[in-house]
Amino acid sequence: MEMYIDPHIHLVSRTTDDYEAMRKAGIVATIEPAFWLGQPRTEVGSFKDYFSTLVGWERFRASQFGIVHYCTMGLNSKEANNIALAEQVMELLPLYVGKEGVVAIGEIGYDDQTEAEDKFYRLQLELAKEVSLPVLIHTPHRDKKRGTTRSMDVAEEHGMDPGWVVVDHNNEETVKEVLDRGFWAAFTIYPHTKMGSERMVEIVKQYGPERIIVNSAADWGISDPLAVPKTANLMRKMGIPEEHVRLTTYQNALTVFGLSGQMHEDDWLKAPPIDQTKKLGGNSVLRGGQLPRVEGPADRVEN
Amino acid sequence: MQTQNESVAFLLELLGTRAEGKSLDWLKSQTEKIREEGIPNKFFLAFSQASRYFKKDTLALSEQEIARAKALVEGFDPSHWDLLQTARTILVLSFQPEKEIWLKSINQLFETSEMHELQALFAALPLMPYLEDLLSRAIDGCRTNMTIVFDAIALNNPYPPSHFPEANWNQMVLKAIFMQRPIYRIQNLEQRRNPALAQIASDFAHERWAAGRKVMPELWRLVVPFIGDSMLEDLKKVVFSEDQLEAEAGVLAIYQSSYSPAKDILKAFPELVSAIEYGEVSWEKIGKDFQEKQA
Repeated sequence: MEMYIDPHIHLVSRTTDDYEAMRKAGIVATIEPAFWLGQPRTEVGSFKDYFSTLVGWERFRASQFGIVHYCTMGLNSKEANNIALAEQVMELLPLYVGKEGVVAIGEIGYDDQTEAEDKFYRLQLELAKEVSLPVLIHTPHRDKKRGTTRSMDVAEEHGMDPGWVVVDHNNEETVKEVLDRGFWAAFTIYPHTKMGSERMVEIVKQYGPERIIVNSAADWGISDPLAVPKTANLMRKMGIPEEHVRLTTYQNALTVFGLSGQMHEDDWLKAPPIDQTKKLGGNSVLRGGQLPRVEGPADRVEN
Repeated sequence: MQTQNESVAFLLELLGTRAEGKSLDWLKSQTEKIREEGIPNKFFLAFSQASRYFKKDTLALSEQEIARAKALVEGFDPSHWDLLQTARTILVLSFQPEKEIWLKSINQLFETSEMHELQALFAALPLMPYLEDLLSRAIDGCRTNMTIVFDAIALNNPYPPSHFPEANWNQMVLKAIFMQRPIYRIQNLEQRRNPALAQIASDFAHERWAAGRKVMPELWRLVVPFIGDSMLEDLKKVVFSEDQLEAEAGVLAIYQSSYSPAKDILKAFPELVSAIEYGEVSWEKIGKDFQEKQA
């Protein structure tokens, strides 16, 4: 069975039906970038509990469905505009960036392209260098092209290696420059406001698979947690070579986020059972070697 | 502090034969820094980053090592620990500032920990200083839905039996049953049985039956000292269960009970009684077989 990685999905907003469907469709690993919640937070404690959820409960919840969950940590650009709060979040981040399963600093960058956004974007680029993590850049909805260029200019200004930076939410207008400058170009299949699968297929046809990554960015808005496998299937139908499908929906994400040292194929191919009692036999290698271990029935949680 | 340092020495020795040299070097340099400088942020960072140096392979301790652990701190049982949590425990025990700073830091660590870090912290409770001050933290920890975190508190851990008030203890045991955890690994389970817990267990069984579900066989261990007429009715049902483990549990509960009207039932199960007498049927065996069946 094909394996996919969805390297950008906000799983705290998704149901167990989604998890089951994702696993069934072949998604073995996901990355959940720290973002906003649809409305701005007003207390630093809300950030703390959110960050703890990303490395705690959500990671566990995903494991119950046989999906390995990673995350990125960061202060998003929208909430960077509340400067007093943003400063407190910056003090909190060092507690989280070194944790297991944190594969990048992100999603950071610009929204309205304000001075405050610029300040906290730069501070977090420095943080990424300090702890040797890749960076996931969120590019703005409005004034996108200039915002994307500026994100890359500033990343370079801070000495970031473009090979360590994923520029997200690209479209036909931004992709060329991102690839030409050596950055990774991620595409969000989010039909109403971002990309559709058909457009994605055309981009892979035109630019090839190198440094191109497909994600769903599924969240609390109208979005599709199966966008990655669906786009992969459409690519196959449209005659895109299998190796190109594999690179754009699996391997490229693993290669760049794997730079963190926190993400390995063995995490899902040889997943240890979470339940320690089942580990006593000592054999955590899978029969057949392909299907990840599932934690167990998901109906024994208290709710 | 003396015990803390002895625990560190013991745990380092366990890792010494199991972890890689460069990982041990990292750990030793971190513990020295943490001990000398006592800066919470350095301690937090090392605690998180330990996952880059140590694997989650179980320690697989020898009988002698387990015995030494128990001699070190009463009830301390790292037989299910992994290398990573052992390293993290060494870091926690090496951080030795004055009480107020320690409590503040350890609480911050609990509040910002991911699940494997929480597992390490809760399992290390018996080795920590200021045990009385950690009670509400441990009780709160039982509210988790993450199995590995719950297990770290409830199973193979002397802290709950020695510190939890009865109501919290009962909640923990019942939750373990709800989550189908192996309760034979809860320390002092028999010593801390009580009438309220027996009644809760029986009520829980009735709820499960009403919903057409099975009852985890180990549950009947909780009612043994309190078997009277009403619980005997429950057990009559259990001993004739089609599920072999349930039947074994029912018969074993009656066998261990001192309530004489119950004993007649045993006559119907001569083979099981004999197996009990030969030690072939025990609570631990039933618990293990049940977990095996679930897996």
